[in-house]
Amino acid sequence: MAMTTCLTWMQEKKLQNHFGEKQFSLLYKASVHEFSSESLLQRCSKQGPIITVIHSEDHILGAYVPKSYPEDCFIILFAFQETTISHCKIGPFQLSMLFYESDRNSEFNINLEKKEVAISINTMDKLGLPQCYISFQECEVFRCEDLLDKRRMDGLTELRESLLTAIRTYEPYGGRVCQVRILLLGPIGAGKSSFFNSVKSVFRGHVTNQALVGSKTTGVSEKYRTYFIKDGKDGNTLPFILCDSMGLSEKEEGLHMDDIPCILEGCVPDRYQFNSMKPITPGLGNYTGCPMLKDRIHCVAFVFDANSVGHLSDEMVEKIRRIRRELIKCGVVHVVLLTHVDTLDLITKGDLIDIYRCVPVKLKLEAVHRELGFALSDIFVVSNYTSEWELEPVMDVLNLSALRQMLWAADDFLEDLPLEETSRCF
Amino acid sequence: MAVRTTLTWNEEKSLQKLLGNVSLILLYKSTVHGNRISNMYNRCIRQGSTVTMIYCPKNSFGIFMLGHYPEISEGFRKLNSSIYFSFQKNKTMEMTAAFLNSTLKISNDQLEFQFPISPVQYLSLDLHKRTIVIPKLLVEKLGLNPDLGFRFLECEVFRVEGIKDAAGYINRITRATQHRNSLLADLRAYRPYADLVSEIRILLLGPVGSGKSSFFNSVKSIFHGHLTHQAIVGSDVTSITEQYRIYSVKDGKDGKSLPFMLCDSMGLDEKEGVGLCVADIPHILKGCVPDRYQFSPHKPITPKHPAFITSPSLKDRIHCVAYVFDINSIDNLSSKMVAKFKQVQKEVLNCGVAHVALFTKVNNCYEVLQDNFLKMNKSMISQSQIQNANKMLGIPLSNILVVENYASEREMDPLKDILILSALKQMFRAADDFLEDLPLE
Ligand SMILES: Nc1nc2c(ncn2[C@@H]2O[C@H](COP(=O)(O)OP(=O)(O)OP(=O)(O)O)[C@@H](O)[C@H]2O)c(=O)[nH]1
Ligand SMILES: Nc1nc2c(ncn2[C@@H]2O[C@H](COP(=O)(O)OP(=O)(O)O)[C@@H](O)[C@H]2O)c(=O)[nH]1
Ligand SMILES: [Mg+2]
Ligand SMILES: [Mg+2]
Repeated sequence: MAMTTCLTWMQEKKLQNHFGEKQFSLLYKASVHEFSSESLLQRCSKQGPIITVIHSEDHILGAYVPKSYPEDCFIILFAFQETTISHCKIGPFQLSMLFYESDRNSEFNINLEKKEVAISINTMDKLGLPQCYISFQECEVFRCEDLLDKRRMDGLTELRESLLTAIRTYEPYGGRVCQVRILLLGPIGAGKSSFFNSVKSVFRGHVTNQALVGSKTTGVSEKYRTYFIKDGKDGNTLPFILCDSMGLSEKEEGLHMDDIPCILEGCVPDRYQFNSMKPITPGLGNYTGCPMLKDRIHCVAFVFDANSVGHLSDEMVEKIRRIRRELIKCGVVHVVLLTHVDTLDLITKGDLIDIYRCVPVKLKLEAVHRELGFALSDIFVVSNYTSEWELEPVMDVLNLSALRQMLWAADDFLEDLPLEETSRCF
Repeated sequence: MAVRTTLTWNEEKSLQKLLGNVSLILLYKSTVHGNRISNMYNRCIRQGSTVTMIYCPKNSFGIFMLGHYPEISEGFRKLNSSIYFSFQKNKTMEMTAAFLNSTLKISNDQLEFQFPISPVQYLSLDLHKRTIVIPKLLVEKLGLNPDLGFRFLECEVFRVEGIKDAAGYINRITRATQHRNSLLADLRAYRPYADLVSEIRILLLGPVGSGKSSFFNSVKSIFHGHLTHQAIVGSDVTSITEQYRIYSVKDGKDGKSLPFMLCDSMGLDEKEGVGLCVADIPHILKGCVPDRYQFSPHKPITPKHPAFITSPSLKDRIHCVAYVFDINSIDNLSSKMVAKFKQVQKEVLNCGVAHVALFTKVNNCYEVLQDNFLKMNKSMISQSQIQNANKMLGIPLSNILVVENYASEREMDPLKDILILSALKQMFRAADDFLEDLPLE
């Protein structure tokens, strides 16, 4: 019999969130370690806060004990309702009181040997359970730890430093350009401008909001912006440029499709005012006539709001596919960035530490793969600063990892260029 | 008091990686739960695979055991697949690991690990006195400091969750990196037969979406040490790749070019007038089609094309063709596709070029090879896809190659590398056969 929990990912996650972004470690499982209170207490003593979960045919219920056995403390009983978790407090007493009959606890009694829970009428009402005696098939006990504890924060901070160093010292392939240009493309409100702000914030050392960030509907960015980023306030310019464009829209208001080839070639100048109705015309005004390799886009990042994935309109999907064909024609490599994962159901900040393992995120990645045809390994999760005042290493690590992938992708583009194209103008 | 492990997050991650994306669950910590054997034992039996960590001031040492902790009475009877590893706390946090079968005996005051390959040597652990004695055998294998016995600060035991299959995986994983590196060295040192050419050209041919471009990306990723995206990949109704591309691969970002080129083509489609033209194939094989030629599904290249290479030499020719298929769809190819493929194969046979089959998207990539990595294992060979390919394509089993491309994960994996590099090596051999077979002129 394997030592793995009977809780589904969703159930476990709901419980973890209910008790404050915890991580669970399974210590005891009755069907493996015997239905015996002695065996349970032996394995679960001195383990810090623990949670006991009882699986009956129709119910999942249990008790959260916030202190190490054998300390006394208030114990929180819980039961899964259809959509919520009900709870009530008993105690204070120690964990073992839940498993042995005693005068001090007549509210909630787990008899492992008989596989039965006895619940007082009072508690039964509070938990919204239908009966006083519930027989069960399985009992599991988990240790509860904070997801973002000091150990992980230390690790993340170290990782952030090594990513920062890798990016600072990055040199574009073969010295063909000094800085690579990364174009952010995506629907209005996907988080393109926010991604730039988030990257800039890491290098600045505090959260900044240089690029105006808009709302879901209208979009704020109407100008083409090519942002250089300094390493610190007066440091060197970093070896990449993030190019922020107007959002795509299925209606007529977004970026004009005919502008895209011009942007890719580097004909569109910084601060160019987009016009949804009329693409930029060669030879006119500020059209850059003879762009060099350094002016071209070396990597494109498609940015999508994770919530919108699966609900993109057919027009939008069609647009994305057309743009991708255009990119293939120009040989520009591309990746996908998924934003707003923090707002997916059940996902909390702590999950960002291992975000690719989270079921809702996996489903989103697969949906992007299926609907838009991007390879799974080309899709990266990022997390933008929205309401934070201070830097969060866990967010930075995600954003910097994605950025490093884009720099590598730009290298691939530069390496792929035919030699004669590395110097001529387009 | 919270129970918190002494293992750093980075060490935990390297362990997770070594053991294949597992989770570690702390069961026992000597400074919290008591330093008697019984304290440890009560918490660690019947937990499945475990890692036992010993922390010393300068380094830490660990033992992974695939099987359960034995019952006290059992001692020394059951052989347990184990991995011994150590972390050096100095600069780089290097981890070294050695795979050894061992048996564990738990007595009242210590744990004793015995190794069948050297029965006189023991590793013994005294929890109460906090001493560990490491035998010479391990000291050498792990490159530890030669003082064999020392005091430790702390001992922890973790349960390992999510370990892949049984003995086979563990048996392989510790040797994987080594084998991968030796394959890499072989490929780097490869020189085409009799130096007839300096680089061999391998053509990837196959249905739309079968993973041709991804195979090139995967090969390049291995030589660069991280995921690369040079060939654009993805899925669409028609082929993503529309240009003929002759890719050379560098040995690292600024390294020198490796002795092979991978030629990526447009996918084949069952419909006429869609996908790669069969009539293009002889030209490709002869080396007449230039790099970056834009395929046109309706009409094949002709000598009139401005970039047509009119007198290609041996180095421009294709020396080996790899038919690329998604292993999950080979058994249900449409009859039209099969017919088209027959035509393709005819063209290849006409030119006398060597050929191999390359299956991508295998699900259980850890179970493809035998333990020694030297051939496919029996159950893989007996799969219908392999048998069909053998019959339908007339390709010998040793030239039917199975890989999983780097398509859905973000981390490099030595076991995956082994499949990809082995496939490449077989292609080199096939190319050599072709070169050797050439008439002298
Ligand atoms: N799971 C899995 N997916 C793969 C594998 N190889 C390729 N893919 C995916 O299959 C899709 C098609 O891969 P490509 O490499 O573009 O295929 P191709 O043969 O070059 O296709 P065309 O150029 O369109 O003819 C992509 O989404 C890849 O990520 C593999 O080994 N395993
Ligand atoms: N929760 C959350 N909100 C985000 C994230 N990225 C962007 N946003 C919000 O999404 C909205 C649109 O962002 P913006 O950067 O203007 O999108 P753009 O039109 O693509 O430039 C803003 O309200 C942002 O605060 C993210 O990762 N998480
Ligand atoms: Mg914007
Ligand atoms: Mg392709």
